Amino acid sequence: MASRFSGALQITDLDDFITPSQECIKPIQIQKSKSKTGAKIKIQEDGAYVELNERGASQKLEKVEITLADCLACSGCITSAESVLVSQQSQEELLRVFEEKKTKEQNGQSEDCKYIVVSLSVQPVLSLAERYDLEPEEAALKLAGYFQQLGADIVLEMTIADDFALIQSAKEFVERYKSAEDGVKNQLPMLASSCPGWVCYAEKTHGNFILPYISVTKSPQQIMGSLVKYHLAESKGLSPEQVYHVTLMPCYDKKLEASREDFYNDLRQTRDVDCVITSIEVEQMLSSQGTSLGELEIGVIEKPFGSYTEQSDKYLLGHHGSGSGGYADFIFHYAAQHLFQEPNAKLEFRNLRNPDFQEAIFEKDGKILLRFAIANGFRNIQNLVQKLKRGKSVYHYVEVMACPSGCLNGGAQIRPQDGSQSRELAQRLEMKYHKLPKSKSEENSAVTNLYKVWLGGEHTDKSIAYLQTQYHEIEKMNTALAIKW
Amino acid sequence: MLIITMGTLELKQILTGHKGRVWNVCWHPKGTSIASCGEDKTIRIWAPEGSKWAMKTILTEGHTRTVREVAWSPCGSHIASASFDATTAIWDKSSSEFECNATLEGHENEVKSVSWSKSGQLLATCSRDKSVWVWEVTDGEYECAAVINAHTQDVKKVRWHPQEDILASASYDDTVKIFKEDLADSDWSCIATLSSHTSTVWSLSFNSTGDRLATCSDDQTVKIWQEYKPGNNAGVPTPNNESVWKCVCTLSGYHTRTIYDIDWCKITGLIATACGDDIIRIFREEDDSDPNQPSFNMVCAADDAHTQDVNSVQWNPAVPGQLASASDDGQVKIWFYSE
Repeated sequence: MASRFSGALQITDLDDFITPSQECIKPIQIQKSKSKTGAKIKIQEDGAYVELNERGASQKLEKVEITLADCLACSGCITSAESVLVSQQSQEELLRVFEEKKTKEQNGQSEDCKYIVVSLSVQPVLSLAERYDLEPEEAALKLAGYFQQLGADIVLEMTIADDFALIQSAKEFVERYKSAEDGVKNQLPMLASSCPGWVCYAEKTHGNFILPYISVTKSPQQIMGSLVKYHLAESKGLSPEQVYHVTLMPCYDKKLEASREDFYNDLRQTRDVDCVITSIEVEQMLSSQGTSLGELEIGVIEKPFGSYTEQSDKYLLGHHGSGSGGYADFIFHYAAQHLFQEPNAKLEFRNLRNPDFQEAIFEKDGKILLRFAIANGFRNIQNLVQKLKRGKSVYHYVEVMACPSGCLNGGAQIRPQDGSQSRELAQRLEMKYHKLPKSKSEENSAVTNLYKVWLGGEHTDKSIAYLQTQYHEIEKMNTALAIKW
Repeated sequence: MLIITMGTLELKQILTGHKGRVWNVCWHPKGTSIASCGEDKTIRIWAPEGSKWAMKTILTEGHTRTVREVAWSPCGSHIASASFDATTAIWDKSSSEFECNATLEGHENEVKSVSWSKSGQLLATCSRDKSVWVWEVTDGEYECAAVINAHTQDVKKVRWHPQEDILASASYDDTVKIFKEDLADSDWSCIATLSSHTSTVWSLSFNSTGDRLATCSDDQTVKIWQEYKPGNNAGVPTPNNESVWKCVCTLSGYHTRTIYDIDWCKITGLIATACGDDIIRIFREEDDSDPNQPSFNMVCAADDAHTQDVNSVQWNPAVPGQLASASDDGQVKIWFYSE
C-alpha cells in the first residue's frame, strides 16, 4: 500500500514497517514505583507483562505508550504504525467520539457532551466530488449532511481560515522584505509554512539553517483551530475543551501538524484540532456503511464568523493561483501593491526543470523586484534547500509543498479509480478548483471584522497567539544501534 | 557427460595500505587504475608502476565516516564516493590532482552505493533511508532529479543499465527494482520489481547488452534475470507496455555464506562473486544454453581468496580476465583468470 504521508516525511525515516517497540529510540519516562531488587517479570499467555515482587504478589506492568507528539519531538522514525495513529487520529477514534456523544445524549447526559465541530477544507471536498461524480458544492453540502448525521453539531468550510492565512502571510512577507532591505539577515526567501510535511522535514533535517526562513504564519488548519476553540466556542458559551474539533484534510501529514505541542493548550488540556480525517478515510467510512456520498441527504454549512462578501452565496470557494491555497499568487500581488504601488502586477509562472518547479518575476523599470517560485514535491524541495545552503537561492518567496502537484494531490486524496496517473487526476481536480467561485481575501469583511473584534488589531498578543507559530530544531541522535551495514 | 572447462584465478598482487576493512574497488573506465575505499574514510588510487601496482593518491577529508563505495565516471575524470556520513562526494581531476568539488547532500543517513549512467549525465545514489536518488549533472552542478521511495527497506546497491537511462536497485527488502524516467513529468518511477530472493539482495550487475541482470543475496544464491520487452518472441506478456524481468536461472548450492557482490564481465561474459565465506567464485554460461532457461557453471572457486569476507569484486573493463577484489581483511587484490 502506498503511504499516505508525503514523500518528504517518508524520507525522514517515516516507517510503516516497524512498530515503535522494535526500533524506537525514544527514551520514555515511566512512572516507576520504588522497587527493590529481586522482582521478576512474567509474560502471561495473553502477552501481558506481570511483575512479581519478592513476596510473590503480582502486578500488571503498564505498557509504554508512544504518541505522535513523542514522534514529532524525536529525531528517529515517525511511525505510522496503526497502534500510534489509531489512538488519536483515526476514523475509529472519530466514530468513537460520535458514538459516545450519542450514548450520553440518550442517557440524558447531554450537558457532558462535547460540542462537535467539523471543518471542511477545499481539496478533499474536490477529491470526494470527483470520486462520487458530484458537483463540488453539492459534495460539500452532502459531506455536511454526513457529519451531521453522525452527530456533528456544526459543519464549517474554511475560507475564513484560508483568507486569514493568505493575508497574514502577505503582511509577514512585506515586513520581511523591508527588514531585508534594512540589512536584517535570514529574512528572505520567505518559505511557505502551510505544508506540515515540509515543516516537519525542515525541522528534523535542516534545523536552524532553514527554520528562520519559514513563514511564522499558521496553516489554515491551525488558524481554523484557533477560530473554533477560541472564538466560536466562546460565542457558544463553551470553553475550548468542551469543543471537539475535526478537520477534513488532503494528507496524513496534517495529523502530525494537529499533534504538535505548539497547538496544545496545557492548561485546558485541549488541542486546537482534535482529530484530522482525510479524503481516503471518508471514502472508507462511507463504503464500510455500504453507502456513497451521492446517496446522502444534503446538510447545512454554517458561517458563524460572518458572511464574506455580498456575491458569495456559494459555500465552497477557491483562490487564484495554485490548488495548494494560492500562496505565491496572493503574496505576489499583495507585495507588488504594498511594496511597489503596482495594483495590477502581471503574474506568469513558467516551468523550470519540471512542472513542479515554477518561477515568476515582477519587473519595474527593467529591474527584477520580486522573484517567486513554487516548489512542489521532495526533489524540488531538495534543490531549493541545497541552493539556499550554498547561498545561491535567488528567490524572495517560495511556495513549498511536499507533494508533487501540491495539495490537490495530497497523500491522502482518493487515488484514481480508472487506472490513470495521480498527476492526471490532480489536473482534473485543478480544473475543478479553478472553476470554483473565488474568495477575495482582502475584501473578506469577516476577516477585517475579526482582526478588530477578536484579535484587537494586527500586532496584538492575541493575533500573535492565534495566527502565528514557531518551529523547533530537532537535534539528531546518533546511536550506534541504528547503524546497519 | 558434461565436461566443464575449469579455469584458474591467479593472484597477481596484494595492495595494502587501507586501515580496517576495504568496502569497494572500482576500475578506471580504461582499466588503467583502481580506486578503493573503506572504513578508514579514505579513497586510494592505485596504478601500475613498472611491473607492480602502487598507491598513487590518497584522498582524505572528503568524508567524516566510512566510505562505502566509489564509482569512476565514464569519462574517467571524476570519482563519486558514497559515505556513511550521508553524503556523496564528487572528486574532479581537471588538473593533475583530484579535488572534492561537490558534496551531494540530501540522504537522511548512510549512503550505500553510487553509480554513473553511461553518458555521465546522471548519477544515482541509495541509502539506508530506503530511497533511491537520481541526480542530473549540468555544467558541473548536481541537481536532484528524483527521490524514489519504492523500496521498503535499506537500499544496498544502485547500478545503471550499460546503454540506456534505466536504473536498477537492490534492497534489504529482498527485491530488485527497475526505474525509468516518465517523460510526462520528468519524474522517475519504478517499472519493475524483481522478487524471488528470500533475503537481502546485496548487489547486481547487468550483462554487456543490458537485457540480463545477475543478482546476489544473503540467501546464498545468484539469480539471472532476463528482460522480455513488449512484443517479445517468447510470448511473455508485458502489462503496461513495459518490459518484464523474469528469473531464468538460480545458482544455489555453491555459496555457503552471504554473497556481497557480483560483477558480470562486459567483455568475457564471466560472472564473479564475492562471498562471506572468503571465496571468489567465477561462473560461465554454457555455450549452447537456452536463452530462456540458461545454464551457468562454476568454472573457478578461489578458496581463501581473502582471510575474511570478500566485499567487492570487479572485472577490469578493458583487460579480459583481470579482476580486483576488496575484503574485510583490509586488502585489495588483483587477480587474473585464465582457462
